[in-house]
Amino acid sequence: MNLRLNGKLVSVPAIDRATPLLYILRNDFGLQGPKFGCGLGQCGACTIHVNGKPVRSCSLPLSRISKGDEIVTLEGLGTPARPHPLQSALIEEQAVQCGYCINGMIMESAALLKRSPNPTVTEIKAALANNLCRCGTHLRIVRAVKRAAGASKASRSI
Amino acid sequence: MTEDVSRRDFLKRTSGLILGFTLGGLHPSAGAPPTLGPYGPPDDEIDSWLVIGEDGIATLYSGCCELGTGSSTGLLQIMAEELDLPFDRTKLVHPDTNRTPDQFVSSGSRTIAYHGRPIRQAAAEARQALLNLAAERLGAPVEQLVTDNGAVHVSGASSRRLTYGELIGGRRFDLKLNGKVKPKQPGEYKVVGTSVPRIDIPGKVFGTFTYLQDVKVPGMVHGRIVRPPSHGARVVAIDEKSVAHLPGLLKVVRRADLVGVVCQREEQAIRAGAALKVTWSEWSGLPDMKDLYATLRGLPEYPSGYPQKNPGGVLDRAGDVDSALAQAATVVKASYESPYHHHGSIGPSCAVADVGPEGATIWCGTQTPYGLREAAAKFLGVPNDKVRLIYVEASGCYGQNGADDVVIDALVLSQSAGKPVRVQWSRADENGWEALKAPRVSDMQGGLDSKGNIVGWDAHTFGFSGYSRPEYHEPKHGGEPGSLVTAQLAGWTEPGLEEGYSGAAGNFTPIYALANRRVIFTYFGPDSHRGGPLRIRVGSMRGVGSPDNVFVAESFMDELAAAAGADAIEFRLRHLRSDRHISVLKSVAERAKWEARPSGKKPATGDLAHGRGVAVLGTDNIFTGEKDTCVATVCEVAVNSKTGVVKVERVVIAQDCGLVINPDAVRNQLEGAVIQSISRALMEEARFNRSRITTLDWASYPIIRFPDIPDEIDIVLVNRPDLPPMRVGEPASETIWPAVANAIYDAVGIRLRRLPFTPSRILAAL
Repeated sequence: MNLRLNGKLVSVPAIDRATPLLYILRNDFGLQGPKFGCGLGQCGACTIHVNGKPVRSCSLPLSRISKGDEIVTLEGLGTPARPHPLQSALIEEQAVQCGYCINGMIMESAALLKRSPNPTVTEIKAALANNLCRCGTHLRIVRAVKRAAGASKASRSI
Repeated sequence: MTEDVSRRDFLKRTSGLILGFTLGGLHPSAGAPPTLGPYGPPDDEIDSWLVIGEDGIATLYSGCCELGTGSSTGLLQIMAEELDLPFDRTKLVHPDTNRTPDQFVSSGSRTIAYHGRPIRQAAAEARQALLNLAAERLGAPVEQLVTDNGAVHVSGASSRRLTYGELIGGRRFDLKLNGKVKPKQPGEYKVVGTSVPRIDIPGKVFGTFTYLQDVKVPGMVHGRIVRPPSHGARVVAIDEKSVAHLPGLLKVVRRADLVGVVCQREEQAIRAGAALKVTWSEWSGLPDMKDLYATLRGLPEYPSGYPQKNPGGVLDRAGDVDSALAQAATVVKASYESPYHHHGSIGPSCAVADVGPEGATIWCGTQTPYGLREAAAKFLGVPNDKVRLIYVEASGCYGQNGADDVVIDALVLSQSAGKPVRVQWSRADENGWEALKAPRVSDMQGGLDSKGNIVGWDAHTFGFSGYSRPEYHEPKHGGEPGSLVTAQLAGWTEPGLEEGYSGAAGNFTPIYALANRRVIFTYFGPDSHRGGPLRIRVGSMRGVGSPDNVFVAESFMDELAAAAGADAIEFRLRHLRSDRHISVLKSVAERAKWEARPSGKKPATGDLAHGRGVAVLGTDNIFTGEKDTCVATVCEVAVNSKTGVVKVERVVIAQDCGLVINPDAVRNQLEGAVIQSISRALMEEARFNRSRITTLDWASYPIIRFPDIPDEIDIVLVNRPDLPPMRVGEPASETIWPAVANAIYDAVGIRLRRLPFTPSRILAAL
């Protein structure tokens, strides 16, 4: 089976199709962005984009992926050479402690910024309500999302 | 793993480069690998701490475990400062028993404050050695030389310069630390005291950072453990046929009651672990949860756990408290209770182990590399030097979660499978088997005279240890597997370490001037949580017992202020004795625009009642007696009298933690301490039935979410470059529970003495 992963067509080994995508991404494709946190879809650490929508990859079996689905992980969202505005903003705001949750925060916020380019603080908090952070970096993450929204607006206007 | 070149190899490889230019007897044994003692490279040699490459980059060999706080960046700032080296020409090697000195346990917010000291000294002595080397090469007296930007030159003549790379690049200093070189004075600092961006953050936001959970080693396969349904249950039978048909199965492993599966792929191990049929004996030795605090009070005291200086758990005693209370104009009595908490690390514990016939290599997220290494070596029955332990930063750690225990799982599974095995605990494994924050009950009595001054303070708390790690407490080296629940499951019957109550008593000794006082910690030792009537494993979690102690002391201080009809801050100021406590309390009052009035007197408007509460702490360090952090916190809350929901809207903190190494990293820690502690105050309580912990996921153990965080956390950092750096994250976290409780009292006039402050408890009290 083939997958469209971070803009490339890749081949998935012949494995149980009930396998959650998380383990395939991490172990077969070496993608370290998505993390195992609970395996229950409760914490958000494993979030990826499927066709632009944030999805919990720990609870998404391979069998649910259709041909043509576009899968994007943190690595596909931006790179040090071409960072997503959220990645730059998180560095600017130093909005990370342990950072184990930060993949989910970025993927969820990126989806928010797509549908609502200039969200209010309340909208940001609501969008991230099901993403857990234990270090308590919430305020900085909210500031980073605001900053990224401003940066996106600026880059669009250029 | 990118850093798999061992330090020995590095020095061996570089040794070839230096033949022929050994200088002035400085490198008589240049290129020889450092002698590894039973606890790693000797900590009295410069070369054990740092190496300067030919490119002039200094690499710090840190014995401290980076737990997600940014401490690595701070340690590099300290080294860069003393070396006079730009920050971007520094690197750090994380703990590795083949490469880094033993810095004991990275806990208690002590990395910068305590473990930074030898690093500062080693760097200062390295800089002096570089000056001495340059003096010979430049033919100038050392007094005329200065260091600047990674090079040495004659003062006022910067054209004649030798870079550190030219002076020492790739070679050993071969110098013992003499302790005689004076580190810089704070007035000279260029890198220390600045908000250098953390070195780990870019990798974390781009997904290129390798967490422990990301470690892969050649030939690695995947293990999952199958835990008993309760801590007292034993294996009766294992039906291996239940998984024999599953793809990828390599091995079903059993050692005593430690059961697991090893499979080729991770998802196969998850499936096999879930499918394996194990018959367990029944065990239901726990009390009904509603009787938790009564059970706690009835546990047997563990007298051998007290240090010599505090027999009977008497932390502090002066005057005649009984007579003072008998003669007081007003006597206030109150009891407080706080529950079990989960650590709530977002990533459950993980380890990779590769056990061979001779020894083992371990990759793990411990806080005690050498202690755990020794525990692992004892468990395997091999000498220390046959086990190499490599620390890799894992998901955030707030104390003794399952990071050490999972190593035993990985050792057992790897030894049995004959391959390197990665064991990843599930969320339920973590919540069910980590060492929880212990519950606590406390009884307080206080007496006021007719003017509202405190004349007697009688404090008695009942609790467990704050230390149930596998490592002896510093400065004694080494470890014992018996402290690990997984070793116990695997049939290890030798005892663990004597725990002692130590850290759990932190900040219970009053900071106030109290002529008549008695402060007692009644300690329940390991017997009661390993096998006794409260067989729920406990250990350290952020602040250990101090959050409980400060909750009790600062709530009760508020109760006395209310009984005296006094403003909560004025009442505290009246009784404080240390300038640093007074300073932070005044600072927080000013920044919070605190309105002086007795608390609990504010009329509510509509459903929402607003209130503010304060707490202050500051103590001398319990281990060293040195000055430690002082912090005062004001929380502003809104209490909804219809729903019982408490929202902490604004938090103001004033903290004096001595010299600040990295102000933004300190603020990041304080913000995190506040938010995590609000979560623990308002909603967290690990629950159990008669057999087991039942809060095994995020639905049953909710933590704070984005919509419920404060709107603002305002931090006043009191800059004290005249004092050494002190602890950062934990002290502030310890002020939050009482500040919130005191604010709720101010808002609605109810005094909450049992955590957490859930809507149902608020409504019941209203």
